[in-house]
Amino acid sequence: MTAAAEVSLSYQLVLRNQLDITANNIANTTTPGFQSSHPLFVEYLAEASDGSTVTYVEDRGTIRNLNAGPLTNTGNTLDLGIQGSGYFTVENDAGTFYTRNGSFRLDASGQIVTSAGDVLLGEGNAPIVIAPGEHDIRVSGDGTVSTENGDIGKIPVVTFADEQAMELVGNSLLKTEQDPITSTTAEISQGMIEGSNVLAVTEITRMIELLRSYQAANQMITTEEERQQQAIELLTRTV
Amino acid sequence: MRSLSIAATGMLAQQLNVEVISNNIANMNTTGFKRQRAEFQDLLYQSHERVGATSSDSGTIVPSGVQIGLGVKTAAVYTISEQGNLQSTDNQMDLAINGNGYFQILMPSGETAYSRAGSFQLSPTGEIVTTDGYTVQPAITIPTNAVNITINNSGEVLVKVAGSIAEQNVGQLQLANFANPAGLDPRGDNLFLETSASGAATTGTPAATGYGSILQGFLETSNVNTVTEITNLISAQRAYEMNSKVIQTSDEMLSTINRLR
Repeated sequence: MTAAAEVSLSYQLVLRNQLDITANNIANTTTPGFQSSHPLFVEYLAEASDGSTVTYVEDRGTIRNLNAGPLTNTGNTLDLGIQGSGYFTVENDAGTFYTRNGSFRLDASGQIVTSAGDVLLGEGNAPIVIAPGEHDIRVSGDGTVSTENGDIGKIPVVTFADEQAMELVGNSLLKTEQDPITSTTAEISQGMIEGSNVLAVTEITRMIELLRSYQAANQMITTEEERQQQAIELLTRTV
Repeated sequence: MRSLSIAATGMLAQQLNVEVISNNIANMNTTGFKRQRAEFQDLLYQSHERVGATSSDSGTIVPSGVQIGLGVKTAAVYTISEQGNLQSTDNQMDLAINGNGYFQILMPSGETAYSRAGSFQLSPTGEIVTTDGYTVQPAITIPTNAVNITINNSGEVLVKVAGSIAEQNVGQLQLANFANPAGLDPRGDNLFLETSASGAATTGTPAATGYGSILQGFLETSNVNTVTEITNLISAQRAYEMNSKVIQTSDEMLSTINRLR
């Protein structure tokens, strides 16, 4: 009997999570290499007391939008954008992570690091070190890093069999147990940075839509409550 | 409601972004100023259902868990040490560095600061000093009877004394270089200090490999590009507005609940 209210409630709970996800997408509209997330809803079937089936809503997953963000020219030597799919490999004390945020810099020892200080790994998982005095850093499309003293390393772009199974850990980093596959199609562009792939219009429309859905679900609960009240009134009047 | 605080992190980030942009615009005419850029990263994620969690007894796994991000944070405000334009001033004590390197300035506290603003002057004793009167290192004294000062590309200071035909070498300017110039700590007054992030200073002769050359009679302008700053300002303002819309939506959702009874 109370199923109508509970189904609406399950929908409202899911919509709240969706607003959190949309809020996070909007908050990260200027985060380089950020990929927007979207919730995945599934039907959840349950048997009601009278033997009929009731369908609830449940969010079972978030899907990352793997589309590339717009590449913008910054002119900075160590801003690297990936054209095509793939990730840079970085390392910190907590282990190996992957990122598309290509705003790199040099640290005091000449290693190429992210803005949080995670070390960028080149081929063979070795950090790329720019010797003191070398200043003309060039990164070619295939990731080869060279200075005025010749080639000093190569930055690989890696992909994975299942990119959706990668776990987001914050700080623009992703984690996975899968083995990296070196991409042959992706190209690195120096002096470019990949913006966030959040589409403002989509996010704002989704937000309006989910607000209205939330209000509609609320209306449903109110209507159900009124119906129950009327039923009680009608049934007790005949006595 | 998490969305309220997530949107708040977004608004704070954009506010900082606008602050950095406004400082760049305010310094568009400051000699030797290096523009800055705020960099953002996403915050932690809360996992409701972990990636790879088992979804049935037969060992099937969740292809992608429910991961809800908690907003955005500022990772760094990064100094972009790109070369500024060189502007001719015809002043013989204006020096510009074309390429890498910083002038070394002796602070009153005894520390060495670094600067690319080469609008120098002479002190009453004839030493080369900054506009604040701090001595440029290594200290070079120009004789009071000098009629002409020439500073060449490699930083040699040559003076012509009244009554003499030959030029006299009175000193050699040195430049300091860093592994990571973006890691220098801006101190204001166009000065930077060495930090553990910048690495130790290595000094060298101007125009040597890895060091820029010195141009007399020129000043390096700020490397702020007004068009870029204004477009960044527009997008920061719009992003701020969008985050405020999220707060509004969360508020409306909460008020919907309050209307329930």
